[in-house]
Amino acid sequence: MPERASPPNVLEALLKYPGRIIHELQNNWRAALPLWLLSFALFGMLAYGVVVGSFSGGTQLWIAPAKIAMGTMLSILICLPSLYIFTCLSGIDTQFRTVTGVLFAAISLGALLLIGFAPIAWIFSQSTDSVAFMAALHIGLWAIGIMFGLRLLEGMGHLLGGSARNHLKFWSVIFIVVCLQMMTTLRPIVGTSDRFLPSEKKFFLSHWAETLRDESAKK
Amino acid sequence: MSNPLKALLRGDADRLSELLGKPTASMLAGYAGVVLIGSGVYGFTLGLWRAPLQALYTAIKFPLVIFLTCLGNGAINGMLAQILGSGLSFRQTAVAILMSFAIAAIILAGFAPLTLFVWFNAPPLESNGAILGHSVMLLTHVFVIALAGVIANSRLLGLLRKISGSEKVARAVLFSWLAGNLFLGAQIAWNLRPFIGSPKLAIEFLRSDPLRGNFYEAVWRALRHLIF
Repeated sequence: MPERASPPNVLEALLKYPGRIIHELQNNWRAALPLWLLSFALFGMLAYGVVVGSFSGGTQLWIAPAKIAMGTMLSILICLPSLYIFTCLSGIDTQFRTVTGVLFAAISLGALLLIGFAPIAWIFSQSTDSVAFMAALHIGLWAIGIMFGLRLLEGMGHLLGGSARNHLKFWSVIFIVVCLQMMTTLRPIVGTSDRFLPSEKKFFLSHWAETLRDESAKK
Repeated sequence: MSNPLKALLRGDADRLSELLGKPTASMLAGYAGVVLIGSGVYGFTLGLWRAPLQALYTAIKFPLVIFLTCLGNGAINGMLAQILGSGLSFRQTAVAILMSFAIAAIILAGFAPLTLFVWFNAPPLESNGAILGHSVMLLTHVFVIALAGVIANSRLLGLLRKISGSEKVARAVLFSWLAGNLFLGAQIAWNLRPFIGSPKLAIEFLRSDPLRGNFYEAVWRALRHLIF
């Protein structure tokens, strides 16, 4: 990568040569690179959030992007310590800042893909009244994006000489579960409510089952 | 993270066996400190669902279970290591076992933000879903502790393999240590109960009759209720 980590360079590397980003983070660490990656992640989440909020409109147009960006950042904060530990357990000799940078890269790649999916999500959000359908669609699109993003972690294991890859795969599952629960904690994101945050605590699966029950009752 | 701890997590058998070659009191104290902090932090999240006071009690008791198990089995683990031909001295055995507990403690500390998040989302004690909350907390902690234990022991196996130079000896030593530590550890944990805290019972540092009955009798009674 060139000496100056400009946004177009970083974007190009992220999409075409993600290995270069990992190499830079490990061998030529500069604060600008992870900061750009974090900015892309936030921008992508906020932009996709506006599309999510467009389903309900009104205040959800700013609440949904704010909650999605906030939820992603909180999930990163919760999972980063265990990611570093699992990276070490995989036999990778690296620093905390490198792992943080790679995670930012993974999230920003997922967020970029979400921007790509945004027109599809928007068309559906304007064509249906079903909260359950829209929630399932957003989760599906997010899952595709994050899976591509989390492949960077596998790439890190491969490039930095990790001896065991299953640890990072296992951590990826944990991260996905935390993100899903985080979106339940910060609900509603697709639908509307009088309150910014819910008063009742719920686990992701029970909330999902309840949403599906409500949807069938409506029909 | 300092290099010895990184070597521990990476399972760097060369570096670890080098460290184990010259065990010092400061090394022992260092690993004990990691166990104290790591398992103490995790213990706090273990008791938090019941009440902050229970969290404080569990933060004290969780490392205590580990230290009492190490202490209680110190002599027999050292003897078994020598009888089975690992070539480890008593002091080296103590350090090796503390190393594996230190790995588990670091993993547990790393999971503490996650278990705090589960606690944040679990139905609280006063709610209608208290039983669900208790079950979810219980299952989450069992899973996390089991995971930390499995990883820590796999690292210990690598180290034993390197030191003894024999897969068979390494497995035999690890199995004997595991069996002893699980047998005593389960009983000590039983004596020092509660950790999560039952929704229906009062918050206590120890139950009023901590030395009455034992873990294995309780398991037998539970099985009898289930089967007969």
